[in-house]
Amino acid sequence: MAVKPRYLLAIVLVFLLVAATACSSGNGNNGGNNGAKPDNGASGNASEGNAAGDGGNAPEAAIEPLGKYDPPIEVSTVRIINDTYKFAEGDTIDNNVWYKAYEDELGIKIKNDWVVSGDGVGGPGEQKMNVSIASGDLPDIIPVNANQLQQLIEADLIMDMTDVFEKYATPLTKEIMNADGGYAMKSATSGGKLMALPNTGSSMDGAAMIWLRSDWLKKLNLPEPVTMDDVYRIIDAFTNEDPDGNNKKDTVGIALNKDIMGGYAGLDGFFNAFHSYPGIWIKDASGKLINGSIQPETRAALAKLAEMYKNGQIDKEFGVKDAGKAGESQGAGKNGFSFGQMWNPLWPLVSSKDNDKNAEWQSYPLVSVDDQPARPQVSLAVGGYYAVNKDAKHPEAAVKLMNMFIEKSYGEMADPNKYGNANGLEVFKYAVEIAAPATKNLDAHKAVTEAIKSGDASKLNPEQQLYYDKISSWLKKEDGSNERWAYDRVFGEAGSFVVIDKYVSDNLLMNNEFYGAPTPTMVSKGSSLKKMELEVFTKIIMGSSPIDAFDKFVQDWNSVGGEAITKEVNEWYQEQQ
Amino acid sequence: MHLMVIPGLILVLIYHYGPMAGITIAFQKFIPAKGFFDSKWIGLENFRYVMSLPDTWQILWNTVYIAVMKIVAGLIVPITVSLLINEMGKALIKRSVQTLIYLPHFLSWVILGGILIDLLSPSQGIVNQFLGYLGIEPIYFLGLDNWFPYTLVISDVWKEFGFSTIVYLAALTSINPTFYEAAIVDGASRWKQTLYITLPGMMPIIILLTTLSLGNVLNAGFDQVFNLYSPQVYKSGDIIDTFVYRIGLVDAQYGVATAVGLFKSVVSFFMITVSYYLAYRLANYRIF
Amino acid sequence: MQYMTPGRRLFVIVNYTLLILLSLLCLLPLIHVLALSFSSSAAATAGYVKFWPVEFTTNSYQFVLKKPEFLASVWVSVQRVVLGTLVNMVLTVLLAYPLSKEVKAFRMRTFYVWIFFLTILFSGGLIPWYMVIKETGLLNSIWALIIPGAVPVFNVILLLNFFRGLPKELEEASFIDGAGHWTTMWRIFVPLSLPALATITLFAMVGHWNSWFDGLILMNSPDNYPLQSYLQTVVIRRDLSLVSQSSLADLANVSDRTSKAAQIFMGALPILLVYPFLQRFFMKGIVLGSVKE
Repeated sequence: MAVKPRYLLAIVLVFLLVAATACSSGNGNNGGNNGAKPDNGASGNASEGNAAGDGGNAPEAAIEPLGKYDPPIEVSTVRIINDTYKFAEGDTIDNNVWYKAYEDELGIKIKNDWVVSGDGVGGPGEQKMNVSIASGDLPDIIPVNANQLQQLIEADLIMDMTDVFEKYATPLTKEIMNADGGYAMKSATSGGKLMALPNTGSSMDGAAMIWLRSDWLKKLNLPEPVTMDDVYRIIDAFTNEDPDGNNKKDTVGIALNKDIMGGYAGLDGFFNAFHSYPGIWIKDASGKLINGSIQPETRAALAKLAEMYKNGQIDKEFGVKDAGKAGESQGAGKNGFSFGQMWNPLWPLVSSKDNDKNAEWQSYPLVSVDDQPARPQVSLAVGGYYAVNKDAKHPEAAVKLMNMFIEKSYGEMADPNKYGNANGLEVFKYAVEIAAPATKNLDAHKAVTEAIKSGDASKLNPEQQLYYDKISSWLKKEDGSNERWAYDRVFGEAGSFVVIDKYVSDNLLMNNEFYGAPTPTMVSKGSSLKKMELEVFTKIIMGSSPIDAFDKFVQDWNSVGGEAITKEVNEWYQEQQ
Repeated sequence: MHLMVIPGLILVLIYHYGPMAGITIAFQKFIPAKGFFDSKWIGLENFRYVMSLPDTWQILWNTVYIAVMKIVAGLIVPITVSLLINEMGKALIKRSVQTLIYLPHFLSWVILGGILIDLLSPSQGIVNQFLGYLGIEPIYFLGLDNWFPYTLVISDVWKEFGFSTIVYLAALTSINPTFYEAAIVDGASRWKQTLYITLPGMMPIIILLTTLSLGNVLNAGFDQVFNLYSPQVYKSGDIIDTFVYRIGLVDAQYGVATAVGLFKSVVSFFMITVSYYLAYRLANYRIF
Repeated sequence: MQYMTPGRRLFVIVNYTLLILLSLLCLLPLIHVLALSFSSSAAATAGYVKFWPVEFTTNSYQFVLKKPEFLASVWVSVQRVVLGTLVNMVLTVLLAYPLSKEVKAFRMRTFYVWIFFLTILFSGGLIPWYMVIKETGLLNSIWALIIPGAVPVFNVILLLNFFRGLPKELEEASFIDGAGHWTTMWRIFVPLSLPALATITLFAMVGHWNSWFDGLILMNSPDNYPLQSYLQTVVIRRDLSLVSQSSLADLANVSDRTSKAAQIFMGALPILLVYPFLQRFFMKGIVLGSVKE
């Protein structure tokens, strides 16, 4: 007797439930379907369409890469920022010098559909972008990472930009976008079509180098590193010969982070000295691509590392320390040697200078185990991609925005005082689309050192001027702030760009030849392979596995999926030729 | 009384049951750009894929091992501490203790990770220095497979025991004081009072929290493990959640992540349902 | 105080010592963070700071307080905690009362309880969750942080257990006096469960105060971030392998451990201030003592 109402209500509830799910999945359908616009977006588009309706066609007749829309058009985008974005009073990410310039000079009114702070890998920005993609909430200009770009291409949601770019990009834009030998542009290309504009950067800036305490070198009467034996000798002395002079054996020979590779306290430089290139794809003698991690040179480097670990020359507890934690020992004056990148003085090396004003760091090019020069490995440096919504009314606006950024930053009419760095604010970050010439920092180094020699700073652009001011005030001892010291160590006469300059002029950079989207097996097995690699390398270095474990690793790597990946990578490589 | 339930029910239906439609992602090769309906339907492929990875069983075992120890320790410690706090007479100290033990809950594992690396360092850490006084060789707590899981359990219990302690303390307040008065008249010792009045009084809450925590049998704590583990302890410390995270780094695979999530939910559901019915059948006790 | 046996005396001493040690163990990390926040950046980077500031400075606090985002996000958080806790508590009580009844009194209860309970276990994941919130028009408003999580199921289950522990005689007496369910709930159940309600209020507050992910995803502008979301964008670890050439100046922020410590401390502070206040309600058996058997 009691059964009836209970069941009735249950049935009602089930209906409610079904209704709720159906309702929400209906929305999903709406949003997810190709091109079908959700309600919110539609209203935004309508006004846009109206605005563009009358005048939009006029400028299309004459192609002006920096021409102005009259009447102005509205272009929507989204912004992923981080906590280093600082604004002058009254400015915001929705209203700033760049956005004003877009409107005044190009007739493009930018509308930020959303802004999110947090641009790390897997961070809020990436997640917000993913949910936006999934719910069909796409703006006209879509800033994405490589994976998301691939998804948008597969789902056919974005526009082929080949012709538009060809027609609208200024010569300077084309030059800068291709300055890295075309790797960046190729990485934004699918099936011969350009699907997005890359935010180009500089791969050479990521090349590894040696950093060491030159005051310790002098104190212990050691030679500068020219051969790998010098390096071993230095590391040994920095471990055992009491470089900090406190009569205690408390120094760490070589700082190392738990990821083994990376920008500070990684071992990229060490492996490269052995002509081993873990983690990247290189061309072998037959012209095929092979993975650097599984080559015999890597085995040799690991064997040496295991020996050094056993001799106490590597931080015993490196296995648990990330780069920040690994940096503590140098900050405390307990470490004087590491492999790193050109920016290390700015972080973290400056802290050892802060704590001991006699500390002095010097960078050196990688040295080699044999008579062949060491070649630092570098990978594609693309900060992201700017894709254009298939439904965008004005795809060329995306190219124009890029033209304007490049023109105002690096072109003849450049006004970096206003658009680059103004009053200590990094104004260039406000721009919707940015890109940098591959040699921007190297050029800055050359210009700054030239200006310091000649005393004539008039030819410097504001960014270079900034470096110049810091370095010259350091050299003249006007200002003892160690930040200035750090800039001198990077851009100055003996700075790290001397090393990079040498790499570039001797043509030593070893490019990662694979720059496509992850292949199917990479997607399915990549994380397992990466884990295996890190685990085996760590254990070999720490001596908990013998070096022979490397041979088994190579076998396992191939059987778990590495072989399939190699095949896919080579197929991809064929297509690129 | 239905009227009281309805507002909450509607909200739950919309915001919890609505999104549950997304569980279908577990059976798809889901690509956000294509949405639920255009993504390819691949049945159990995501589950099969996860099972086919070389470390799956090891990871599953690690997860269960760590989680079960956390569940057990996470029950015993707060109950003991709340009983001990209950024995304190001085209100000021009692309240201070209550507040202080809740503090670690507010520190994130990112911060605690750095602190623990220092504390547990074999060469400089204070813990190993202390062990040194006792004549024990330094132990690499975070770097050895046979210590790492216990380090996780202890540090996790330390961080979170304040939370459950508060619940148990609240449960203690609902015990009728007249019971104690009667017991004192009967000449029962403090220990007997605890055993025959306090503990039984807390029992409903203890059973409730135990049952609920059983649902965590596959949750070994992502934030904690992620901030403390390293390649040298992958073998003992890699858990389901860190594993899914790393898969996502190569390419965000929603299908796989959702499939794993669904698997975890089903296991939790099973555990809790079984204990619910056991309690009901054997003890004639309804947990909730 | 009454007479204590030697055994009892020993127990009391051991007990106090043990608990005070335990509290210290819980307090020290926070002190470490506090010391870090008052130390110079160089000392912090070198790992010199333990439990006392090295090279004392208040720079980090000035730095944090100077940021306009900080105060704005505190305001959002305060709104969220006040509104959110209020909504949570009303719904929790409304649900816990009927669900605490015996099946005899409320036939549907078990069914309802399971409906609610299942939401703890199953979830559809981020994307559908976001889409539902978007379609219900909450995106970018403070309600997006309150409505979707308005029913804290765990707390409901806790409270319904407490309600069940209340003497049945009170309820019956109330009905005999002619009170309905609403009056009984409000006049009898709520006042008698103050310790439990205080506990749940605390959890609701802490939950709202601490959650950050929903703020990041559901707000369309950082201006609307609650405090913890904002802190997350500052404290989150930078992936150093990805330091880009475009802005070397960002590197200075990476080492900013001290201001991060200051932000963490300031983030935890308000709850630390509220908690001792809530403890007033933890007084044992205030109400129950007056209930006749």
